[in-house]
Amino acid sequence: MKSIFKKIVQFHLKLLTKITLWRHRPFIIAVAGSTNKTTTKDYILKFLREKYGEKEVRGNPKSYNTEIGLPLAILYLDSGESSALRWLKILVQAKMRALFGRKFPKKLVLELGVEEKGDMKPLLEMVRPNAVIVTNIEGSYTYANSSLDNVFGELKLLVQQLPKDGYLFLNCDDGRVKELKNFTKAKVTTFGFSEEAEARAENLRTDAQGQTFDFIFQEKQESVRIKKYGRTNIYAWMAAKVVKSFL
Amino acid sequence: MELRASRIPGVVSLAQGVPSFDTPDAIKNAAIEAIEKGKVAKYSLAPGTLEFRETIAQHLERENKFFDFETEIIATAGSIEAITATLLAILGPGDEVLIPDPTYTSYQAAIKVARGVPVFVPLSEEKHWALDIQEFEKLITPRTKAFLFCNPNNPTGTMFKRNQLHALAQLAIKHNLYILSDEVYKDFIFNGEGKLYSLAELRGIRDRLVYIFSFSKAYAMTGWRIAYLATHQDLAKKILAVHDALVTCAPVVSQFAAQAALEMADEDVETFKNYFQKRRDLTCKRLDKMNHVFEYQKPDSAYFVFPRIKREIIQKIAPGGGSWQFAIELLEKAKVATVPGSAFGPRGENHIRMCFGRSEKDINLAFDRLEKFFGKNFS
Repeated sequence: MKSIFKKIVQFHLKLLTKITLWRHRPFIIAVAGSTNKTTTKDYILKFLREKYGEKEVRGNPKSYNTEIGLPLAILYLDSGESSALRWLKILVQAKMRALFGRKFPKKLVLELGVEEKGDMKPLLEMVRPNAVIVTNIEGSYTYANSSLDNVFGELKLLVQQLPKDGYLFLNCDDGRVKELKNFTKAKVTTFGFSEEAEARAENLRTDAQGQTFDFIFQEKQESVRIKKYGRTNIYAWMAAKVVKSFL
Repeated sequence: MELRASRIPGVVSLAQGVPSFDTPDAIKNAAIEAIEKGKVAKYSLAPGTLEFRETIAQHLERENKFFDFETEIIATAGSIEAITATLLAILGPGDEVLIPDPTYTSYQAAIKVARGVPVFVPLSEEKHWALDIQEFEKLITPRTKAFLFCNPNNPTGTMFKRNQLHALAQLAIKHNLYILSDEVYKDFIFNGEGKLYSLAELRGIRDRLVYIFSFSKAYAMTGWRIAYLATHQDLAKKILAVHDALVTCAPVVSQFAAQAALEMADEDVETFKNYFQKRRDLTCKRLDKMNHVFEYQKPDSAYFVFPRIKREIIQKIAPGGGSWQFAIELLEKAKVATVPGSAFGPRGENHIRMCFGRSEKDINLAFDRLEKFFGKNFS
């Protein structure tokens, strides 16, 4: 009973999401990968909002990024969690927004959550991204190569659908992610710490106040300080900076 | 005491420090889903799944605590594993670890397991169980390696304030000490005291601070055995080697459950807190009525109260036997289980710990019995 109800909710949310996107036709920026999606999305939102204004750019609230979460992110609704009544109210709100909503941001920054084979297809049935950022493909288990290959296969589907005038931004320090450049028609830009990265971080230093590094891109160099720790934050910052420069 | 209590039928227990609630549904459902999807049968990476650690880092960021999830966060099998692994990583045989007096009873055992020596730093009861910084410094010797404490404090239910913590941090830098800050009760702060200030917010000591949080109390997950620690990557590396040797990884099903807790259970924590505040108020009201037996500092956090037993009472009920004998008398004659204060350190003597994590019904029943017991013995 529960799963039938879930399927009904999913079906309607998906349909209403498609109607919404068809009506408003926003530019969709998708952030995918095993981890670091939320931080990357948050930096992209910050940079693009600086450029286009607060109301013109929207991202997933929380980390709604699955088959049921993504429509909520696009329709800007909260989850009903385990309450059937709340889900019914959400469906009513979703219908109103999809059919009659007037205001909609010009750019959507969406996390796409993919863990297993088959996860990407339902997401792509709802959204067709214009730009994609792939953060990494990493596993949480001691022995997990096959599942990483599955994730790679799913991300391949994502980059394959990018249009010729689309953008693909890849973390080239990740061997699997780097390979994705061979499966797209879109313009590819790489970022990372390695020499081959088009947008590169160098001279990373950590102190009590956070991290500093030099960012080199398009023959320009700038010194950057961020208050968070860990290389993942630098990848996220770089990805967002590159996205901002193209969009 | 809990074990002894379990052998006596009809005992009401205010002894064990566990919440009366079940784990929230959203957490249980996430665990079930993870099991059904076949995600929990294998070892995770030793420090935990990436997704869990990333969620922890994001949660910490909202509390102004910044750690790298890849290298500075380790999921552990409860906070006691986090503490023990840290102590094993930093102590040599005979090294001393300062702990507040009174404090959580298992700290002493963990220090001894790591071949260290616990050294008590007396807290000042009349100053709401505050830390005496001058006394603290006097107890530092060349063998002192660390200060281990919980904030809010168990058993007193009181908090160490920002100025005390800053003074502590300065001493840690001056004497090259590690600080282990166990903040398991941080979500239960009452009466608009605001949020708990944590030394993990102080960037200047991040190379010597180990921040520890357990899901046991905040999310009613004591049986899931899941917690985490966050510390500078150099120290995290050393602790990880011990953690790997001890448990390989934290229970994977519990990692999924705890991730869901951080993502979906904020409202449940708030609900629990409100219940505990009501139960705290009830407990204090009942204690006030027994002011001929107990005097106490009103707890502003956690779910414990640590009343002092009046001298004439303890002499009559447990002559020469102290809080241990007193607690046994309460257990056997009033059928109310409490924890003797001496279990928490020398300054705990002449006190008992009462947990108001139990239901209001249990609290009322326990106090009805105590009132009857003391009424009979003092009429």
